[in-house]
Amino acid sequence: MPATAAVAPPPTAPEQLASRLSSGDSDESLLPTLREIKNQIIGNRTKKLLYLRLRAVPKIVALLSSSSSPSPVIVQAAAAVGSFACGVEEGVRAVLDAGAVPHLTVLLSHPDAKVVDSAARSLRIIFQSKLAPKYDFLLEENKTFLLSLLNSTNENITELAASIVAHSCEKPTEQTSLCDAGVVQKLVSLLGGSSNQRDTSLDAISAIVKNNPEVATKFVSISNGKAFISLMGLMQDRYPRTRLLACVCLISIEQAFPVYFQEMQIKTKLILILLDLIEEAGRVGDEAPFVLKGLIGESEELHRQALSVTAAERLCGYLRKGKAVLEARRLDGILLVLAELGSKLEQSRAQLIELQVPSLIIDLLKHDCAQVRVAACHVIKNISRSLKHLCAGRFGSESIVMPLVQLLCDSSTSVQTAALDAICNVAVNLTTKKSALLQSGGVSILCQLARSMHSEVQLKSVRALRNLMFLLDRKDKDLILTELTVSTLTILISDPDPLVQEQALALAGNFVDGSGVSAKFIFSEDISIIDAVSRQLKGECSPGMCIQGMFFLANMAAENELQKDAVMDCILPTSLDLSISHPNFFLVTFLQSKERLLRLSTLWCLINLVNPDQRNSFRVSALQGAGIISQLKTMVNDPCLDCKLRGFKLQLHHGIKMPPSKHQIEKTYLS
Amino acid sequence: MPVRVVETTSPSHSSGQDLSSAQPSPPSCSLLCAGRSFCGTQNVSSLQKDEAWKVNVRIQGCDIEHGFLCGTMEALNVPLADTPVVTFWEGEIVDAKNHTFFTGKWEATPEDDIRHWSKFPSFTPLLSQIEDDGGKSLDLSNYPYIFMRWKEQYFVNVGADCGLTIAGFYYVCFSCTDGSISGFYYDPNSSPFQKLELKCMNAKPGGFSFSSYELV
Repeated sequence: MPATAAVAPPPTAPEQLASRLSSGDSDESLLPTLREIKNQIIGNRTKKLLYLRLRAVPKIVALLSSSSSPSPVIVQAAAAVGSFACGVEEGVRAVLDAGAVPHLTVLLSHPDAKVVDSAARSLRIIFQSKLAPKYDFLLEENKTFLLSLLNSTNENITELAASIVAHSCEKPTEQTSLCDAGVVQKLVSLLGGSSNQRDTSLDAISAIVKNNPEVATKFVSISNGKAFISLMGLMQDRYPRTRLLACVCLISIEQAFPVYFQEMQIKTKLILILLDLIEEAGRVGDEAPFVLKGLIGESEELHRQALSVTAAERLCGYLRKGKAVLEARRLDGILLVLAELGSKLEQSRAQLIELQVPSLIIDLLKHDCAQVRVAACHVIKNISRSLKHLCAGRFGSESIVMPLVQLLCDSSTSVQTAALDAICNVAVNLTTKKSALLQSGGVSILCQLARSMHSEVQLKSVRALRNLMFLLDRKDKDLILTELTVSTLTILISDPDPLVQEQALALAGNFVDGSGVSAKFIFSEDISIIDAVSRQLKGECSPGMCIQGMFFLANMAAENELQKDAVMDCILPTSLDLSISHPNFFLVTFLQSKERLLRLSTLWCLINLVNPDQRNSFRVSALQGAGIISQLKTMVNDPCLDCKLRGFKLQLHHGIKMPPSKHQIEKTYLS
Repeated sequence: MPVRVVETTSPSHSSGQDLSSAQPSPPSCSLLCAGRSFCGTQNVSSLQKDEAWKVNVRIQGCDIEHGFLCGTMEALNVPLADTPVVTFWEGEIVDAKNHTFFTGKWEATPEDDIRHWSKFPSFTPLLSQIEDDGGKSLDLSNYPYIFMRWKEQYFVNVGADCGLTIAGFYYVCFSCTDGSISGFYYDPNSSPFQKLELKCMNAKPGGFSFSSYELV
């Protein structure tokens, strides 16, 4: 007949269990306590943290080294230590601080096999953490210890050995040393072992061959290539984790020894397997996209190959099916692969746009996880490198612009900078209207960020404003500069960071491009953009800054008499007695520069100053008197055709020398 | 100025390329850049009548490295239209790397290509070097003319049923010296050799000005 089911006793309170550990006993009376602690903490982060606060770990670790601890106690204590270290960083730290590693290492030689197994399993868990100590394999004793572990018949110990290699082997000298000691062959032999042995061995082989062509070459030669063939076979293993680790291993070999992988077939197979693995549950599916990104890297060839096997469609398919439910890590990985695919090739970007990727990922710009928001910005940034689609206004809509603008105020700086990069490209929007960005409140935020103390944020904001200013209507240009203020612009032009100076100068140049520049922005009583530019050009400035500065002056000189005169004041020395080698007389230096654009921008400035349609004879005389016009004679030998032609134009207008006819130029080219 | 497009990824090489031989620089000119405007006429004469439309062209984007540019073309006093007709076009720059003198599409055969390019006096010295392969080994970086093809993609301000056609494309020759443009429209179904002639315009009263952007 039915009877009342036995009721399990309620769990003992952690405080009670922890206090029992303090009893000073190390005999078997502690076994129930240890078992119960271990059972409570397995898979339970909260309980682990609680026991850490109760300082249980040092007491348990002490049992490992106590000579009076019987084997069953040591087994449970080791298992508990391993459990504390599993998946909880604070637990790993506590275990390491309590000195568990050396005690567990000693236990690997214990006469009781169960103790050895328990110690080995716990050590393996510890060595999965980045916090675990690293073995220096250049020390002979460590290498000897490792080899003794690899030679063991105990599966847990050989797995531990492989884990230690995977965790610790980093330097090329260590890789070579382990390879020379025969460690790679031993690891290869584990590929035929149990699933765990295979996985840890694959991890270890990846660590040893990574970026080491010499070791990679030796690996592919093992057993006349049979080891490599085994590895290839593991790509088809029934366990997803093994397939993933096999891919990682092959990619490490490919990157160290690319000649061996010239056949596209293997790389295509890797791409397809990794695309499949993205659908797997758990960590395998989360990590697969990162491995895929590592594979295709910056290789245009692999980008093309990935596209040809419908990688973009599949990745978009994953997003369409499950972006609301996918783990943040996996979303991050998928987005980074899409961003990578859009980074180089126009055909890739075109395909991603056709697949509606921008619309697909817009809501991911609001994802809870900052990394996902960053990755989504990267996708937009890379796809919007497409000039064709920028011209077609594909990225100027409110639906894309608004979320990006909101990210400019994100609490995470890395999100802000990623959003700034995306806006920087989107702001170019080569249609005549940039209304979404102008009306979104983005201008105000960009101007604030241009004053940021964070150097990267500041630089990217100024660059974004520069791009926004590109070919904008005069009315909108004036609005932006009113918001930014002339004062801030002059400060930016004089910023200590040369990169900021260059962007600010380009921003100023874009502002004065086009007609109708209001004098109120250029000339004021206290602050003058042209004075700031002039100071930079006369100082020690980089070629990039000088180029932008000269284009600013060229644009000014194309406006009206007042601005032309201002440019003349800027470029000519204050006294005609100054020689042309005076540091203030930068124009001649620029005309002689190795930088093509600097020569060109200087020539255009001069062309605009002495435009023959304008009243300019006094300017011509001043430039001639300062010896500038005569410098133009050297332009006949300029290696840049554009510079040569502008030099000819100047000389033609001012009777220095008749330029060669078009026929002569062609004859020169053809000879 | 040539628009400076700076990308943060480092340039990569396609497999199989001989890295020891440097690629010639693409042809470029500071008068052919985004923002630059041109105006002139397109001769649309037929056997029945003489006719010319006023045309304004604006370059909107220019990627010299990839031999791509694009812009708008506005045709005024078009008989069939109440307003100026604006189209968006994309262009290919003949640079031997991205594009050769041979079109390879748009119903233009190599013979059509040579026939049209030969209408430009500046092309004549190059003819012997392009007959075999369209000029794949030509270095045009120091030639004072830039050759392009412009293909209109769509109407911007009128419907496709406006009675006008954009089925063909232009063979274009740009003079680096003064920024002037000549072109010939090619469309097997339209009057042959309709000529486009444009001059480069100053945006400002006192000369040429320049704008730039930087993609990341």
